[in-house]
Amino acid sequence: MNCLTDIEVQAVVDGEAGEASRVHAAECARCRRLVDERRRDVTAVTAAASSGAISPAFESRIQRAIADGRPARGATTLRAAPFGASRRRAWISAAAAAAAAAIVIFVILPKAGSPTTLSASEVLGRSLQTMTGAKGVELLEYDLFVAGGMSGSHRIVHLIDHERKGRYRFSNYGPDGALESSVGQESSAGRRFLVVRAEGRGVMVNIEAGAAPQVSLPEMIQALIETSITMMQANRDQTLTVHDTAAGRQYVVEMPRVQTGSSAAAFDLYSARAVVDGQDFRIQEFEASGSVLKQPYSMSFKLIRRTIRPSAEVPAEEFAAPATAGDVVINARADKDPLSDVLTAFVRELTRGK
Amino acid sequence: MKPIETTGRADDSTQSDVDPRAAARRLFAEHGQALYRFCRSTLAHTADAEDVVQDTFLKLLLHLQSGGDRSNLRAWLFAVAANACRDRGRWRMRWLPWRAELDARTVDPDTDDDEPDRRRARQALRVLAPRDRLLISLRAQGLSYREMAIAAGIAENSVGRLLARAIDRWKRAVEST
Repeated sequence: MNCLTDIEVQAVVDGEAGEASRVHAAECARCRRLVDERRRDVTAVTAAASSGAISPAFESRIQRAIADGRPARGATTLRAAPFGASRRRAWISAAAAAAAAAIVIFVILPKAGSPTTLSASEVLGRSLQTMTGAKGVELLEYDLFVAGGMSGSHRIVHLIDHERKGRYRFSNYGPDGALESSVGQESSAGRRFLVVRAEGRGVMVNIEAGAAPQVSLPEMIQALIETSITMMQANRDQTLTVHDTAAGRQYVVEMPRVQTGSSAAAFDLYSARAVVDGQDFRIQEFEASGSVLKQPYSMSFKLIRRTIRPSAEVPAEEFAAPATAGDVVINARADKDPLSDVLTAFVRELTRGK
Repeated sequence: MKPIETTGRADDSTQSDVDPRAAARRLFAEHGQALYRFCRSTLAHTADAEDVVQDTFLKLLLHLQSGGDRSNLRAWLFAVAANACRDRGRWRMRWLPWRAELDARTVDPDTDDDEPDRRRARQALRVLAPRDRLLISLRAQGLSYREMAIAAGIAENSVGRLLARAIDRWKRAVEST
């Protein structure tokens, strides 16, 4: 028999070769050397492609999913929504979703990820540091569910330029992965946009030549965060449990009911639970219920990724409106009230349509 | 109802073979770990891998409940997961079109890869073409050529050749890093 080809060598290593190839590999020194070398490569590559282990949390999630016959959402699965599930349009919920997510990312994350010996003032300092310390363009990707405001879990992609005030994009993808809404602003160019998609159709509103709103979406979030920090300072009763899983150590932080004590509280956190990576203190999962502006909410969050890049490396189109062919495009100029620009543009187009 | 066969051989028929949920649990116990590692290797993303594994076992449950073919369910599981991984990859490309390479920069930290050689090996895997990574990931979970062919949607007699080339390309990628 002739010496083995590369494919036959591979087959010998994989246990898929015929009798003749196996016998030859055993008898021929050259082929035996090739087989041994290939075996070492296969061992190395299979080790590289076979890492990781199912965590107990994920295993229980699968068991739940099989028992229920529908997807389970990990440790963040919400308790039964205690509030009426009024179904608003996804784009209306975008701001609420942003606010809820921001609370998680900027307020609860730093607290949850801190050693329990930290004082409230240290937590506050760390929160502020997290909020103000980021440089460049930050990309946050997370799964978010807000009871009463969203139907199903949504994937949020949140892009913020920390070096250029008023430059951001916030996109909301539905359970099927399709874009539902996106809002963004390029303050230096005086442009803002809103894209709404429903049932395969899209509407894009471009607002140009105007000053940025006095209060932008990120700034509204910031105000909410400051309120949250004040409120969280009042709470010192959170519990911490440590789970050593196959995937590494996890901290589970649970907070009892928290209130500001003010009858006119803008924000109440009734309960919260966070799963935090023990290595880098990134929050992995989070669920909470409370109220914002006296409106009850219940939400869950799962961080998928967080990246920070230098501003110069991020092309302008990442902040642009994600329009597609066939979208209805409404161009409008800013008026004196930036918050009503979009509504004004819609009304104007409707009037023209008549 | 047919008994469940997971690896191409006739299996003993037990209560779990009759109850789809029990059968799905048993199959998860047998193949869940391998399937998860396969998805994690293919997608380089833990959260996505978990989602795909969950979807795969829910599809399996439906498959069993509807009286679907119960022969070689291991290959069936990997075929469904491989398709889901491909879909997931396309989905990511759709909403993150501007930085396809971002995935390589933002994959989960290599917490279990303290050894430089192993880290390089994993980095080299990530730069391979999807089909190369798919075949290597299937091989890493111990699938036979026949099962790999089913999962990858290729001819069985092409598996050895394609796998050998994939490993060659991986080796070159390791050497160039």
